[in-house]
Amino acid sequence: MSEEYKIPDGISYTKDHEWAKRLPDGNVLIGVSDYAQKQLHEIVYVELPDLGKEVGQAASLGSVESVKAVSDVFAPVSGKVVEVNEALLDSPELINQDPYGKGWVARIRPSRLDADLKGLMDARAYRKHVAEQKH
Amino acid sequence: MLGLDPRRTHLYDYHKAHGKLVEFAGFEMPVWFEGVIPEHHAVRNGVGVFDVSHMGRTIVEGPDAERFMNHMITNDVSALDPMSALYTVMCNPRGGIVDDFITYRLSGDRFLVIFNASNREKDFNWFQGHVKGFKVKLRDISDEVAMISVQGPRSPETLQKLCTGVVTDFGRFRLTRTKLCGFDAMAARTGYTGEDGFELFILDCPLNEPEKALTVWDDLLGAGKGFGIRPCGLGARDSLRLEAGLSLYGNDIDDDINPIEAKLKWVVKLKKSSDFIGKAALLKVVEEGVKRGRVGIMMEDRGIPRHGYEIWDGDKKIGILTSGGYSPTLDVGIALGYVPPEYEELGTPVGVKIRERLAKGKVVKSHPFYDESKYGWKREKG
Repeated sequence: MSEEYKIPDGISYTKDHEWAKRLPDGNVLIGVSDYAQKQLHEIVYVELPDLGKEVGQAASLGSVESVKAVSDVFAPVSGKVVEVNEALLDSPELINQDPYGKGWVARIRPSRLDADLKGLMDARAYRKHVAEQKH
Repeated sequence: MLGLDPRRTHLYDYHKAHGKLVEFAGFEMPVWFEGVIPEHHAVRNGVGVFDVSHMGRTIVEGPDAERFMNHMITNDVSALDPMSALYTVMCNPRGGIVDDFITYRLSGDRFLVIFNASNREKDFNWFQGHVKGFKVKLRDISDEVAMISVQGPRSPETLQKLCTGVVTDFGRFRLTRTKLCGFDAMAARTGYTGEDGFELFILDCPLNEPEKALTVWDDLLGAGKGFGIRPCGLGARDSLRLEAGLSLYGNDIDDDINPIEAKLKWVVKLKKSSDFIGKAALLKVVEEGVKRGRVGIMMEDRGIPRHGYEIWDGDKKIGILTSGGYSPTLDVGIALGYVPPEYEELGTPVGVKIRERLAKGKVVKSHPFYDESKYGWKREKG
C-alpha cells in the first residue's frame, strides 16, 4: 500500500500527514505529504499563515483545498512563521506536483524543537501509519 | 444505507477498473477518472461521456397520461409534441420542490420521466401515491435501460459516428430513435452541463446483462478520440452544472424551497388549464412575494466558497450558500445561495464566511456564470 506514496527518509511526519524538515539554519520547513496530496487530489487553493504568526504544535496553520475537499494544515512544530511559500497562491498545484520540494508551505523558527520532534514519526513509522489508513 | 451494499450501474466494471469510486445516492459511482479539472475542460472544449444510469427512469402511460403529468408537475405538457422534452419541477402542497427533472413525451399517451438518483424511490412513490382517479400505469424501467450522457461542443460529431440515420439535425429538447452501435436506442438533445449534448437511452439493456452499455461506452470513447474525449465522473458533472447555474436537488432546491425563490418561475405555469399539486401555495407566494431568492456569487477575494458557508453583509448574516466550488473555466470560486430580495441585484457586494475569514464576493449573473458567446450550447461557432 505505502509503496504508492513517496515517503522520503530523513524528515519527520505527523499523523495528520504534514512533514517537517530541519534546515541547516535551524529553521524547520513544513509541508503536506505525498499521501495527503494524493488523497486531496487536484489542489486549487492554499490558505497560508500570516508571517510572524506564533503557532503551537498541532495548531492550524492554514488550509489546502482541492476541488472536492478542504483540509487543515497543522503545524508539526511550535514556533514562529518566518516565511511562507507565496508561489502556492498562484500555483497551488505545486503541492500535487512536488509535495516535498516546490510545494513546501511554510518555514518555521522552532521554539521547542526537541520536545516537539518526540511527537512526530520518522519515515518508517509513517509508512506504517499510511498503510493503516482506510481507503 | 441500512448496511446494504451500494448499488451499481451497468458500467460498474469500467468504473472499478478506471475510476476513483465514491458512494453517491446509494450508488457506487466514479467521482473522477483522471481528475475533475481535465474532465471539466474536455466537456467545455471538446467532448466527455458520463454514466448517468444511476438516475431513475419511469414510464407513465395510459389514456390519462397527459392529465396525470399536468397534475403532478408545474410545467405544462399539453402543448408538448411527441419526441420532445421539457424541464420541470414537481411540488408538494406547500409549494416546496419534491424534485426537478426532464420529462420526454414519447407519444400522445406515453411519457418518460428521469428522476434524480437521490430521489428515485421517493419520486416513484410520490407518483404512485397520486394515480388514483387517473387511467395511467407507472413502470420503473431503470434496470432495463442504460443511460449515458455525451456532452460538449464536439458531441454531435462523436455520436454521429456510431448512429445510423442523422442524429444531429434536431434541436435542443428533442428526442429521436436510432441504432446506436447497432442497438436500439434513443438520443435526446439534453444534458446537465450547459453544453450541447445528448442523453442516450440504450433500450433492452438489463442491469445483469450490461454488455450493450459497455460497448456503447467504449465506442463513444473511441469515436471521440480526435476531439480529446474523456470519461467523466460526478466531480466534473457537479462543476459543469454549477458553472451553468443549474440547480442540484438536495443542495439548491428541496422540499422546503419553492420554485419562485429558486428562480424557476419559468417552469411554473400558473395559467395552465389544469390544477396541479402546490398551485394554491405558489399562487400565494407570487401574490405575497418571496423573502429570499437564489443568486449567483463570484468571489473577488481568494478562496473557495462551498455548500453551507454563510453569506454576510458587513456584520449581518444574510443567507447561506447552497452550492459552491472552484470554476475551472473561470478560474475563480463561484457559488449559488439564497439572500433576501434587496441583495439580489447584480453587482451587490457580499461577504462569504470561509472558515474564520470573511471573503469578498459579489452577486453575478449565474444562469450561466460563463460568457455565453464563448461557452455553452449557444456559443458562437468558430
